[in-house]
Amino acid sequence: MSAIAEEIRQAYAAVGITLDQPATFGTYYRLLCAGCGRILGHVGDKLLPGMAAEIVSRQGDLYASGLLGCSCGHQKRMQEKPR
Amino acid sequence: MSEMDTILDAEERGRTGLWPFWRKPYAKGDPLPAFPAPASRAHRFDEGDPLPEEYKSLLLRMLRHEGERAGNKSFLGLMATCLDLAEALFPDRESKLIKAEYLAEELKHAIMFHRLAVGLERDFALRDVPYAHYSFHLPRETWADDAYFHFFVDLNGAFHSRDWRESSYVPLAKMATTVERDELGHSEMGYHFLQQICSEARGRELAQRLLAKWYPAALDMFGRSDSPNVPKFIRWGLKTIGNAEIRDLYKGYVDRKIAALGLDVPDERRDRKFL
Repeated sequence: MSAIAEEIRQAYAAVGITLDQPATFGTYYRLLCAGCGRILGHVGDKLLPGMAAEIVSRQGDLYASGLLGCSCGHQKRMQEKPR
Repeated sequence: MSEMDTILDAEERGRTGLWPFWRKPYAKGDPLPAFPAPASRAHRFDEGDPLPEEYKSLLLRMLRHEGERAGNKSFLGLMATCLDLAEALFPDRESKLIKAEYLAEELKHAIMFHRLAVGLERDFALRDVPYAHYSFHLPRETWADDAYFHFFVDLNGAFHSRDWRESSYVPLAKMATTVERDELGHSEMGYHFLQQICSEARGRELAQRLLAKWYPAALDMFGRSDSPNVPKFIRWGLKTIGNAEIRDLYKGYVDRKIAALGLDVPDERRDRKFL
């Protein structure tokens, strides 16, 4: 796993989203709900350093409000947990 | 019936009240802003002509960035993500079918650019070139993300294709009108989805927040304003316009469309990586 992909994996793990294995020919990764396994989206591995963590942290309130994240509520519950 | 007629016939039969999305904007006139006339028409090369080394190098560089080639595995990978998202996130059956039409049209481009690549340099036709710009890699976690991707990124393709109408490389100039029209349509498809999303308060709230992620990336796609290669592209007739100028035209276009959605246009310098 490239350094950027590892960075993306860590950023999404913090909000309850799993970075799947590379899809198709290796540049793009599925984002899966860590609670139920549902596909939530895709991300590519050519983000700039630091970008994944910044994007995900800025979206924290969107996961908390349910505007982003799985319909099972896993990311929402993750945001409600005291850190 | 020729191979191209077969494709055109298939396209005709795929038309609906919405698809293709380019139909309505072009029916009202030219939807894109006017580009400057080319500074020089001193060069003109057709398939099979011997190409000056610098010219060929710049042309290949441009086509690597474009990427829509049947032999480019990374392009097919990107298309696979679009298919995956259409299956996983689609809001209704009509939207899913629209995305299927989009994919079909992008694969038509892949055939067109494949032919161009074979005519230019056979080895290039099968070269895998992952999209290097971060905008192609931003996370798409909602239908709104996917809509922004099409609205902004496909529109970038339409603007570049408009410039290629005047290209000194004849095979590219011949394709440019079709590719421009289709890419404008793909952008309009994204905009159509954004209009649906922004028609209710929670959707509009999400769209406003996600715009902060997509807007700087969209402006960054045109590259640095002081790129040293641009004067070379212009001198060879491969471009008519610099990065800063085409970005300005694009910004004017998207800003009007964003405001029409009832969204606030972000500060153009915020979170930019390539000024």
